[in-house]
Amino acid sequence: MSHPSEQDAILSVRGLGVRFGELKAVHDLSFDAQRGHITAIIGPNGAGKSTAFNLISGAITPRSGQVHFEGHNVTGFAPNKMLAAGLSRSFQITNLFFDLSVHENLRLAAHYLEQGKGWWSPVHNSQVALARADELLTQFGLTHKAHELAGHLSHGEQRRLEIAVALASKPRMLLLDEPTQGMSHADTQETAELIGRLASDFGLSVLLVEHDVEMVMRVSDHVVVMAQGMKIADGTPEAVRANPAVQTAYFGDKH
Amino acid sequence: MLDRLTSSPSSKPNAVRFLAWVFFSAALLFAIVGTLMGDSFYVRLATEALIFGGLALSVDLLLGHVGLLPLGQALFFGLGAYVSALVLKHWAASFLLAIAVSVALCALAGLIGGLIAIRSKGVYFALISFGLAQVVSKVIYNTRELGASDGMTGVPIVTVLPGLQTDNPLGFFIVTWVVIGGMYLGLRYVMQTPMGRLFAAIRVNEHRVGFLGFDAWHFKLVAFVAAAVVAGLSGALYPMLRGFVSPELMFFQVSGSAVVNVIVGGSGTLIGALYGSGLLTVLKSVLGSFTAHHHIVIGFLFVVVVIAFPRGIVGYLVPLLEKRGSNNPRGGQA
Repeated sequence: MSHPSEQDAILSVRGLGVRFGELKAVHDLSFDAQRGHITAIIGPNGAGKSTAFNLISGAITPRSGQVHFEGHNVTGFAPNKMLAAGLSRSFQITNLFFDLSVHENLRLAAHYLEQGKGWWSPVHNSQVALARADELLTQFGLTHKAHELAGHLSHGEQRRLEIAVALASKPRMLLLDEPTQGMSHADTQETAELIGRLASDFGLSVLLVEHDVEMVMRVSDHVVVMAQGMKIADGTPEAVRANPAVQTAYFGDKH
Repeated sequence: MLDRLTSSPSSKPNAVRFLAWVFFSAALLFAIVGTLMGDSFYVRLATEALIFGGLALSVDLLLGHVGLLPLGQALFFGLGAYVSALVLKHWAASFLLAIAVSVALCALAGLIGGLIAIRSKGVYFALISFGLAQVVSKVIYNTRELGASDGMTGVPIVTVLPGLQTDNPLGFFIVTWVVIGGMYLGLRYVMQTPMGRLFAAIRVNEHRVGFLGFDAWHFKLVAFVAAAVVAGLSGALYPMLRGFVSPELMFFQVSGSAVVNVIVGGSGTLIGALYGSGLLTVLKSVLGSFTAHHHIVIGFLFVVVVIAFPRGIVGYLVPLLEKRGSNNPRGGQA
């Protein structure tokens, strides 16, 4: 923890790696994500960014390397332990409780804030969870859809609910897996603004994996670029955009 | 297929409550009228339907609410019955003691069974639950001290309350009605708590539950133990009604019938489990008096219900009742 670059790092990834058979899907990945910043992992298709995301969030157990969150080793933690540590994640393919109402999705997730209490008393006694659910409905513009089944929402609304559910427990860091995947241009803009607000208004640290480079360059404070399972560059969006290695990876040698 | 059978028909409780009122009122009325007409056979049959309804309730807790298909739930029903019979015969002819010991041992057995079965999902859970029941029933089947294949007879008549004994058909019907009704209300209450809602979340999308910070395994274990207690408490009433227990109470026939009762009645509704048990007990009795092959008819009925009414009787009735309710708006002001 004495390394100067780790001083404000909320998340430190060191030497992370995994193989699928002969393929080194992610190899020796190291970077820091600063507290209150938006950090993005980008890279061409097959660069290993989704695998990196799954390694960091504990969905895949790494073969080598470590993930430290707020100074604690959280490498390979089970999802519920990861959330207890303060790290929450969303899913690229919307992963909601489709047969339950929007409100119920949020209240269930917000029940984490009741700190293990209230399991056996009627739902209306869970004031903390209910208040949090209402707050999220407003924040994410879903109040008018509160009593609809999550499965009946439009794709854009489901993507928003997906992020709201991940935020319900008030995590200190949010991992977003391709949050604008399959969204229209307008929805992408809106989501980008929302992610920006999460960091600026609520001091939330965000790590996102995204294929939409323009969106990433607009919202991120720090960008990690991957190609063929390895980090090829990281820095501010401007620095990364100007980096010749990044241009080669994205556009080939001719550029 | 399982999804189609286990999704709850409605989040609106009013129609389900109405059907519960109808069920418990009709059951009580049936027993009183039967007694006034000097009948005891049908009153005892109704008591038995309620007792097996309790087993079906426990299946619905797992199948309709958590999304686990138990093919060996009769294990806990039979265990409750044997423990109750043993306590009454060899320890003391006390209603409360038999109930308390059965509940305690079934909770323990549920915990052990749950630790073994809950780690598996889907068809593997169903088969492990089936296997556990097979093992225990065969052990009892071969244990001379427990009456082996003959079971145990001579369970004494028990005084439940002063002046109310288990050999009084109407009296014991009312005792059963209160116990099963109490368990129904208890389970219905749980389904309205965050615990019950988390069961629903597990049924709908277990994978995501962990990412909300909850360990789904822990909650499935709670449900499994609760289901073992509900089944065991129902089973504990059986020897008080019939005066005997036999290993058949743990056989697949009983577990399978409970699942059929739940699906015919409407899974995920709780009251559907009781409707299913009532209907199938009546059918078995009525058809059984015409033909020895009544299982063929019941099997055929099951197929028809699953195809025509995949959400069961209650799942079919609830939307109709709600539609009628909304066509006749009452002047109820908030």
